[in-house]
Amino acid sequence: MPFQRRSFLSALAALGLPALPVAGAHAQAAAAPTGTPVRIGGSLALTGPLAPTATIHKLVGDMYVESLNQRGGLLGRPVEWVLKDDQSKPELTRTLYEQLVTGDKVDLLIGPYATGAILSAMGVAQRYNKTLVHHTFGIPSLAKYEQQFPAWSMGPEPQVTVPNMVLDALAASSKPPKTIAVLTSKFPSVQFMSYGAREVAKKRGLQEVLFLEWDIGNRDFGPIAGRVKEANPDFIWNGVLGLEGNQLLDAMKKIDYQPRQHFYMYPAPGPMLKAPEAANALTVTIFEDQPPFTSTPIAAAFAKSFNERATQANLPDTHAETQAAASFAAWQIIEAAVIATRSLDDKKIADWIKANQVDTIEGKLRFNEKGNFGADLSKLKQVQNGRWVVVWPAEFSNGAKLSV
Amino acid sequence: MGGAHVASGRESLGPIGRRADGGMKRKLALLLVLAIALAALPFVGLPQSWESILYLVFHWIALATSWNLLSGYAGYFSFGHGAFFGIGMYTTAVLTTRFDMPFAWTLPLAALAAALFGSALGAVAFRVRSVRGEVFALLTLAATFVLATVILNTPIDGGPGVYLNAVAVPTLARTASGSFYLLALGAAALALVVAVVVFHSRFGIGLFAIRDDEDVAEVMGVPTYRYKLVALALSSGIAGLVGGVQALFVAYVTTADTFGIALPLTVVLMAVLGGTRHWAGPAVGAIAITALLLGFTSADNAIAGRVVLGLVLIGVILFLPDGLLGGWMKRGARVRRLEGDAAARAVGADEIAAAAASPALREPSNPDAPVLLRTRKLAKSFDGVRALDGVDVEIRRGEILGLLGPNGSGKSTFINVVSGHYLASGGQVEFDGRPLARLAAHRVARSGIARTYQIPRPFAHLTVLENVALSAMFGAGSLGRRQAEAEAWEWLRFTGLASRAGSLPDSLNLHQRKFLEFARALAARPQLLMLDEVLSGLTPSEIDAAVALIERIRAGGTTIVFVEHVMRAVAALCDRVLIFDRGELLASGSFAEVMARPEVVRAYLGQEDEGASPAGAVEPEAVHAA
Amino acid sequence: MTLPSAGLLAQAVVGGIFTGAVYGLLGLGLSLSWGLLRQINLAQFGLAFASAYLAYELQQHGIDALFALVLLPPVFFVIGAALQWVVERFRVTPFNSLLVSFGITIILEALIQWIWTADYRRLETPYGDLKLKLAGVYLPLPEMITLAISAALAAAVWLVMRRSDIGRAIRAAAEDAPIAIAFGIHQKALALGLAGLNAALAAIAGVCIALTYTLAPSQIFAWVGVVFAVVMLGGLGRPWGPLIAGCAIGVVEALTMAIAAPAWAPLVSFSLLLLLLLCRPGRA
Repeated sequence: MPFQRRSFLSALAALGLPALPVAGAHAQAAAAPTGTPVRIGGSLALTGPLAPTATIHKLVGDMYVESLNQRGGLLGRPVEWVLKDDQSKPELTRTLYEQLVTGDKVDLLIGPYATGAILSAMGVAQRYNKTLVHHTFGIPSLAKYEQQFPAWSMGPEPQVTVPNMVLDALAASSKPPKTIAVLTSKFPSVQFMSYGAREVAKKRGLQEVLFLEWDIGNRDFGPIAGRVKEANPDFIWNGVLGLEGNQLLDAMKKIDYQPRQHFYMYPAPGPMLKAPEAANALTVTIFEDQPPFTSTPIAAAFAKSFNERATQANLPDTHAETQAAASFAAWQIIEAAVIATRSLDDKKIADWIKANQVDTIEGKLRFNEKGNFGADLSKLKQVQNGRWVVVWPAEFSNGAKLSV
Repeated sequence: MGGAHVASGRESLGPIGRRADGGMKRKLALLLVLAIALAALPFVGLPQSWESILYLVFHWIALATSWNLLSGYAGYFSFGHGAFFGIGMYTTAVLTTRFDMPFAWTLPLAALAAALFGSALGAVAFRVRSVRGEVFALLTLAATFVLATVILNTPIDGGPGVYLNAVAVPTLARTASGSFYLLALGAAALALVVAVVVFHSRFGIGLFAIRDDEDVAEVMGVPTYRYKLVALALSSGIAGLVGGVQALFVAYVTTADTFGIALPLTVVLMAVLGGTRHWAGPAVGAIAITALLLGFTSADNAIAGRVVLGLVLIGVILFLPDGLLGGWMKRGARVRRLEGDAAARAVGADEIAAAAASPALREPSNPDAPVLLRTRKLAKSFDGVRALDGVDVEIRRGEILGLLGPNGSGKSTFINVVSGHYLASGGQVEFDGRPLARLAAHRVARSGIARTYQIPRPFAHLTVLENVALSAMFGAGSLGRRQAEAEAWEWLRFTGLASRAGSLPDSLNLHQRKFLEFARALAARPQLLMLDEVLSGLTPSEIDAAVALIERIRAGGTTIVFVEHVMRAVAALCDRVLIFDRGELLASGSFAEVMARPEVVRAYLGQEDEGASPAGAVEPEAVHAA
Repeated sequence: MTLPSAGLLAQAVVGGIFTGAVYGLLGLGLSLSWGLLRQINLAQFGLAFASAYLAYELQQHGIDALFALVLLPPVFFVIGAALQWVVERFRVTPFNSLLVSFGITIILEALIQWIWTADYRRLETPYGDLKLKLAGVYLPLPEMITLAISAALAAAVWLVMRRSDIGRAIRAAAEDAPIAIAFGIHQKALALGLAGLNAALAAIAGVCIALTYTLAPSQIFAWVGVVFAVVMLGGLGRPWGPLIAGCAIGVVEALTMAIAAPAWAPLVSFSLLLLLLLCRPGRA
């Protein structure tokens, strides 16, 4: 298909390799884009508490737009990313998206960082009948607008599918757990997942020995760690966001407790790797900087490029993973839709995305289930010897096994 | 707090130039015109991208202005505005999603819920005398955390947040954003109208008095508890209203975003930046800071934007310590004050001479006159020290009663307890036949008792005229604003201060400040006037003028209690004299006979000394008025 | 609600005290500033985190964090005195000082983000994992260092305030500056010194935070609420106040988390705070 060939050649070009002659096709040199720019507008939390992760999305966006322009832009025109800082405030997100649509009059939209902000942007998109492709929406049940599409493919019921995947992996290991402790912060996008995990665990016959919830700003995890130690579960499900996972592990280490099997919902990936007590920690992923994810040229190019830029930007963690991949996939969806419909019309683009599957570095994405979500493409990865290793499902584990 | 401003020449501002009439109406008219003009914008082509931007501006104007009603006007800085805002947000969120109530109906309920919470908080907090200043700030902050936790852990939210996307936005304008624009404009207009009306009202001047000196305000008759409560209720209600609107604007309500420290901190900053003593200060600050925040949303200079914001904040406060509006007002006020002084000086110069020249008609008081004030076993202890130890006193109508005694004998304490400045530890007080001892000080003032302070305590940010007018408004006379100002002019002329009517108290010298105390006390039209060492620190000619004044006051029918050390004045003025010693009443009678008693001499001089009496050193002659 | 073991309770109390120690460190400078200089100095938080990041940076270059404890305070002393000098020239009132210090903190946060990015940074030391076990209770080394420093500083400040001439002079100047000056007290110099001291205290607090917590620029404001509460509860200007109040809040929250649902912890501590404030007979 012309589409794939072009991507292949573009990837080669991005890697700095000369376009090799391919049988039956002529090499297309990347023509410099001309004309009025195609403007894609969005906001990110460049300052404020959400800034650490939003930095990754800015990096990926810059990377993608640059490469896109090198490959000839969109519809032959250069692409411009109109980016604003919403300072981690959803009400500002709403205002900025309205500005983008009515003031800056951008052609297309791309989503901001995190569920709260995306909901604000979604509201604006809905009012102006714009299509919104976003990358970090964590609560599928709240996605109620037809013209919005998630790049992070977690499926419409991740609170069921993810715990099932995790427990499947554990059941297939040499030490399947019999007791479970569920610890969760009350942050909306992790809490519902943890509640789902409790249900799933009950259905599968695990005994819940402890259930604790804490407030988002909690600093002292000592008592929680103490209660876990006393309950001594086989498996701990940690509904955590960012540093909370490390804080928990820290607290457990201080009282000489090493959890046996432990899973973390959305940990900050870098700090997890560096802490020795995080050995065997599990979490979800949709992309890792290792085969088979990096088997396709585009994915390999993406991972390499991200690595270079992250190192340049002095980020402590330079390997591409879920956040970066979801961001990249969002751009891929937009590009694919624009090329396929040969237009910038929001309705046409939305209709096309809904009816088709898009090839991204996560795999083939579809959008035909509830909330425009598709398959749950989550995999399970584990900290092994200071590296993230995908351990489940087998097709992606590259031979690695879940360590117990 | 803030002692650095005393007599520095950079006088801090009060509501100078307020007049009860035209000032307010003009401002309200201006606000109305502005509001109508702004409301028309979405219909006449306001670019849609501006609708949400201006929504934010109006939103913050309403929040900052409402915060200022209690915290700026009355000086009770609160860190709890987030709590009231949050209650509004959640009231609307829950009512619209779980009870399917139309959005518009939830708004008044949101305001009401917040106002109730605020009032409940205030009802408890303001009762406790020690809850002032930073303690009140802490209390409101703690209340916010408690509220946030309750909402997070109960079915009100429980964690997942409340999603309002299915709630219909009222169609007030062509777009949803336009509707929110109008709603926020309405809230901001409401907040500003309330701020203006309060600013010009009796209520407002009472609040400003509370800010300057709450204890004195209470003694002058301002019902401080009630006023603070009303201010808090208004403040929290408006914040709740704004919250209700915001709930639908963001459409996804979570505790993390609603109850953080950002909101309470931001409203403080906006109000201080603009100027807390002016009704429009917070609005100016809100516009400035929102503009700064929005001006730096481009991705390229996100971080640089924060630096500029910080620099601007620092710069404005260092160079304009009264806020943006305060600095601008100073220039205007100084001009007005000079004009006012010049005009009044022509009037005032004659008054002082007249006051000094009129001969005092001294009528001896009638010993059978009815008792006006009676105390029985009145006691007051401070941490075990008995300042007043069971004092029985009778004060008759129309007399001038002297309270004498060595330092620390309890004279000032007596005045403080009777006026309500301190709460009595024991005993009873009866005034005009009614018991007084446990009454709140402002009720004591209403009953007809007024006092001056030994070290003058005028309200530092109110003009001389406003100081006196306040007394007339809240004292026994209980006059309306306009009448009170007219009355104030009278008393300023009487005390010779008419030429300084527009000045701030700290530009007066000691004599003038003491006479300001007089004017203030008299404007309350008291039946009983208590003077606490009013002559201390005055020169002999000033003392003569003061004594003449006191005689004229008594001639007008006021009963006077007179704590003093200047013996010739005591001898000249007092019908009767009471001697206090170590909290107890030692002697009572006419000046000459009391001063001759050996135990009185001993109390004063601390030793047995026959023949020598304090009275001996003074000739009980008539004091010349000129 | 299950009944926890004695060991768990004891550990919770100890943990609460450790948390309180950090509150105490951050709050000490703020309390002294507010009580004795009549300035509500939000910049304490910015300076503390600036120090924390500098300690991290020094560690990256091989200089251990404990050396940072010695190197950074004098530098920050000068910075603090310099800031005070500027503020004194403008005669800032207490609530205006809140604004100025907020501005300084925003600038510091922006600078930190510019240099070290918004991402998480963790200071790793070879001794960071050492701990003591006493009667079944674990006492980790970084936390013990923090507690020791917090208590030592509180004690030192208390001694200086109570027993030394300088302390008396400072207290006199705080109560009534014009009179104190009239009595020959060099109020300006004392104010500069005190401000410098507060900044040095912030520097020490920052190093201790770097030892025990992971850093991110947005963390600066995460501490403001609870430390303000601790400072106001402990009484302004009282050296032991923030530490004792901090430990009280820390312990109450930790016990709540050990016994009941952890999410209720802030409710219990702040409700107690409310009750305490309302039942106080009067401020001493």
